[in-house]
Amino acid sequence: MKSITFGFKKITVMAWICLAVMLFCSNIVLAATHDIELSAETLPNGQLGYQMISHTSSEGATPSYPTEAVIPGPTLFVKLGDTINISLTNNTNVAVGMNIPGLPAGAEAAAGGGTQSYSFAASQQGTHPYYDEGSQLLGLFGAIVVDAPDGTVQSFVEGDGTITAVNRTELDKEYIMYMVGSTFWGAEIVNGTQTPLWTNPVLAAVQDEVVRFHVLSIEHDHTFHLHAHRWLGEVAPAEQGDTPNIIDVKLLTGKADGHSFTVKAGTGVGAGMWHLHCHVVSHMESGMAARFRVDEPGASAGNSVAGATPYGAILLGPNQSEPGLVTFEVSDEPGSWFRSARSDALAPITKTRSLEVMSPGSSAHFVMSDTNAVHTITTLIWPSEADEGEQHSIPFDQTKAYRGGATVKLDTPGLYVFTCKIHPYMFGAVIVDDPSTEGLDLGTKIDLATGIKDLPTISDLATRILRTFFVATTQENWQDYTSTAPWTVSYPDVPVAIGDLDGNVVDNLPLKTVLEDRYGQNIALEQLKTPADNGSPAGVGEVWINTQFEKTAGKTKPGTITVLDTATWKIKRKIALPAIDMNNPHNMWSSRDQSIIFQTQWFDNKLTFINQADGAMIDNVRIGDSPSHVMTFPTSDDITVAINGENMVVRVPAGTTTPDVSMPTQLAGQIPANPHGHWITPEGKIVTPNINTSDTGFYDGNTGQILTRPAAGGNFPHGPHPIAVGIGVDKVYTANLLDHSLSVYDFDGNPITTINLLADYDPISPTGPTTLTDKDGDGLVTVGVFPIQTPVDPTGRVVVTANTGGSITLVDTSTDKVVAMLPCDPGCHGVNFGAKAGGGYYAYVSSKFSNRLIVVDPDPNGDGNFADAKIAGTVAMADSSATTDDAVVSLAGMGGQGVLPIPNVYNGWVQNLPGEWKTGLTGEQLDPAP
Amino acid sequence: MKNINFSCTSPTSDECLKLTVRKKGSAKQSMLPLLVFALPFFIFATTGFAQSVGQLHQIELWAEKIPAGAEGGSERFAYQMNSHVISDMDGSNETDATARYVTAPTIPGPTIVINEGDEVEITLRHVFDPGDSATLDQVSVHVHGVHYDILSDGTIEYINLVQDESATPTMSYTYRWTAAPGTAGTWAYHDHNMITLNGAEDRGLYGALIVNGAAETVALDQGGQLVTVPLSSINKEYVMFMVDDAFFGMEIDNQTGQQTPLLDNPALAAQQGSNVRFHLVALGTVTHNFALPGYSWIDPGTNLIISEKIIGPLEQYVFAVQANRNTQYMDTAFSSSLLGMKGDFNVIP
Repeated sequence: MKSITFGFKKITVMAWICLAVMLFCSNIVLAATHDIELSAETLPNGQLGYQMISHTSSEGATPSYPTEAVIPGPTLFVKLGDTINISLTNNTNVAVGMNIPGLPAGAEAAAGGGTQSYSFAASQQGTHPYYDEGSQLLGLFGAIVVDAPDGTVQSFVEGDGTITAVNRTELDKEYIMYMVGSTFWGAEIVNGTQTPLWTNPVLAAVQDEVVRFHVLSIEHDHTFHLHAHRWLGEVAPAEQGDTPNIIDVKLLTGKADGHSFTVKAGTGVGAGMWHLHCHVVSHMESGMAARFRVDEPGASAGNSVAGATPYGAILLGPNQSEPGLVTFEVSDEPGSWFRSARSDALAPITKTRSLEVMSPGSSAHFVMSDTNAVHTITTLIWPSEADEGEQHSIPFDQTKAYRGGATVKLDTPGLYVFTCKIHPYMFGAVIVDDPSTEGLDLGTKIDLATGIKDLPTISDLATRILRTFFVATTQENWQDYTSTAPWTVSYPDVPVAIGDLDGNVVDNLPLKTVLEDRYGQNIALEQLKTPADNGSPAGVGEVWINTQFEKTAGKTKPGTITVLDTATWKIKRKIALPAIDMNNPHNMWSSRDQSIIFQTQWFDNKLTFINQADGAMIDNVRIGDSPSHVMTFPTSDDITVAINGENMVVRVPAGTTTPDVSMPTQLAGQIPANPHGHWITPEGKIVTPNINTSDTGFYDGNTGQILTRPAAGGNFPHGPHPIAVGIGVDKVYTANLLDHSLSVYDFDGNPITTINLLADYDPISPTGPTTLTDKDGDGLVTVGVFPIQTPVDPTGRVVVTANTGGSITLVDTSTDKVVAMLPCDPGCHGVNFGAKAGGGYYAYVSSKFSNRLIVVDPDPNGDGNFADAKIAGTVAMADSSATTDDAVVSLAGMGGQGVLPIPNVYNGWVQNLPGEWKTGLTGEQLDPAP
Repeated sequence: MKNINFSCTSPTSDECLKLTVRKKGSAKQSMLPLLVFALPFFIFATTGFAQSVGQLHQIELWAEKIPAGAEGGSERFAYQMNSHVISDMDGSNETDATARYVTAPTIPGPTIVINEGDEVEITLRHVFDPGDSATLDQVSVHVHGVHYDILSDGTIEYINLVQDESATPTMSYTYRWTAAPGTAGTWAYHDHNMITLNGAEDRGLYGALIVNGAAETVALDQGGQLVTVPLSSINKEYVMFMVDDAFFGMEIDNQTGQQTPLLDNPALAAQQGSNVRFHLVALGTVTHNFALPGYSWIDPGTNLIISEKIIGPLEQYVFAVQANRNTQYMDTAFSSSLLGMKGDFNVIP
């Protein structure tokens, strides 16, 4: 909260003199008492807003307020020294309070249905935010303007440079511009009448009108910029220097901030549609712009135009004639990463919390209100016509990950799927439905961010992606291997309009039936059988699995570490770390002696150090935004962490827990690489899959020098999304998530080949017998859709790739061909090699949308031929009897991502193991790549 | 409404000094409101116009592409000064200032130094091959701070509703700026039209415009004392853009007017005892926390002496110091520190 002692900072020197004069010359200025009744309401799109019920003032006249709940909330205009008594009635189902600078501490929120009173004196001049602590980013914010008793407001700068003092009575208009997420929420005050202008409005004034802007912010940093106008920076009178500080950009920072200034519309520059925007580049890229239209005098001059409103044309919205707004909260909550603000009401129909429906011309609005991470809001799919002609917002994307939100107006009917490039299984979808046509419009053809154009929506790829969306975004649609019930995926039971192969509209197709016919329903899940049950050898040591979605009682954030004993195939321990609210634990590595486990929190900015023996936390340090993978140098033992949300690999020196330096993954001023799952070569090169720049980066681990950055992928060069690297004896394998391929390089970064994992797949035709056939003529039918982790075994002979689409592919490094495919679960994600008792290796494979670990034996007979690779067994990741530091309450065992077998048997590390961890390993395992 | 003009025509005039004293404010002085309001209005408002006879700057600026080098990664873009001719408003008394600049595209772009009262006619040429990428067809210059009409906004028609105000591979575009009274300061100029509807400013297309106030003075902190020195006593200007991962600098020698690009996180050098001025502009997504340990300066617009400053994207921040000890300039924000976003400030005895 803003400091409560900011005093008289909001007036200019002349205003101060004016005030002083008034105080000196007159004692007729008396403080007023305001009695205000407010309520908190739920708006039709699920957002929350404050509503003015009544306002009486001992001074008499009070403003004319909107008769509905509005965002921003009603603006409270008072004067310095006034007393304000507020009674807040909460008509929402969450607790709502009011935080106001200067309010005595301890004021409590009103419970749902309850009332709470707040009383305070307006002791600090200026424009201040008031807001709820908790739901503030959903719309519970407003402005309180405390003016000087004599009404003097901020002076303005004339076109000729003179600085003119103004009284509030001389203002033609006032605007509220609240900067929230990546959206302006506006209101206008003219002659005491307050009018909501909603999102990204056109503010309008007649040239030479004197208008006051009140710019406020909440949670995220913003810089307000208005084209062609300049104004006075605010300086406390006692701190006033000899020259004015004239600015045209103002930073708003901290928990909440406010700034106000006065301009004479168009002075020195004339009429025009002047751009008004946040100058934070990522916010510009996510749609944070409004307009200030300065009109020549005329009949309809100076009329502002409201933007998309929560009351407008969305599914079930009350006012279908105004552009509407659907709102998604960006969240760390599994499945609900883009959660509709009204998902409780919609989910019974849509069968997911991440789907919204609105009319053409309405806007999709995102706000990062429930996440500790940085994200992008990126279109993965859009109707093919949406990026044609004079359209500037589709495809929708930002150059780097950031904090804020997004607003995008969608005019073309059809299906839009949004994702986050950093966390590419976060999905939110908007169907823009033309109300005059039959069925929900999915569009006839879609474009994909990978560069695929005009894909018919009847194609297997289109419906497969749609099915993936419904599986990924709904917890109830995940595979629970602890249950005997068949796997059932809920789809919305609605008619849709799609396009056939010729681009013709097919109306009124039952979506549920189409998806069930194509991909089955009520599928019996395989019974769990451990390797022991199957007569396969035990593993060596433990496997630590990041069950990233598992929810426990003592945390708001999801995720645990599941520790598996490979001697017994029993869960040894669950580690949730409620004391630090461990948030989406993603990937791990171990110290040289295996005594400390390093854990990244991917939806946060922390690296956590955990005692291997007892699961206790050792330290938890800030490392960078969205740290993804962690790995040590086999030589120095220094820890390296890929900072997926940023542009570097950070080093933590061996034996310490404090990051000391970073290796930038690109030259200064270049687009950030956003590295994800890096690996380190035996000679100490760091190799990063650079998701944002579509290349594999090779860096000198000692000097940090960029050696080379060869391109990744080849099927869809528009956005291959390299995501994980595996390193063998002399080759590097990069898995390209959206390119469905593996890029192969030598250790100097020279490309060797690209392995196409989709070679046997027909994406275009409707699902049928030929969707998967041996098209490349290698005698095998294999497919790897959305490959992720892709380690090479310690001997350098086989690559095991976890493909999100639900398969495991094996590549023989002597030929760089796929030699085997094994089934996997939805969201198949993590894989790493651990020692198999008696020699050889197991590859342990985890899946996000199931709760079992698959143990792959890539070479059961040890003959070096991997065509006979098999699943040695499967192990439940849920176990309510396991030792834990926090009780599991839901999503038991779900969210398998990072996998770390202990002891670490990779070449370069295995040689460094202490004696106690070497026992149990064979001679070959101790020297895997001689 | 009441008027007052802050721009004193002469720093030594008695009226200006009186005004300065009065602004400090005390109960006694505030008893004289009419005098305070009226005097400046009548005395300065008229003289303010008299000084607006400035010079005309005719500039041709090029927008170029800087391809990725051996280190790979994304290409960058940059402005290059092609010509800069200064004349009287009627075109007489031409001086060619082009030799001040390097003959290559630089990040930041050329620093355009003018005086309050001057006008600028700046023609932008799109001189690189956009290849088959339509998103690289348009490039513009949008300037902060000074006056211009809607045709010189440097935005696309989608925003300004008039026309695309861009240079293209086949057409140049001319922007007209007026450094009217009240626009003194350091302002960014940057692209607003390439790649996206918001432009590609963070790909390298940015530079600074310095508008020196008529007979401007500069406030310096000398051992905790606030000292006012004439602008002519500033030996060097350091234009330092704070982008998301580095400082990109441009140095100007005020004796010669010569500009030297300093690239990223440069080592700065100044003579012991000389006065140097920093022009900081943030650009990108990150909020920076600037510090220059061992030094403090006057916070613009105030009488405060401070030693660090939070600066958000496209905020500009100008201060001067007297070089008297070696130190480092730096951004102390978390990620910036890890990235090594800092450089030496060396004082040469």
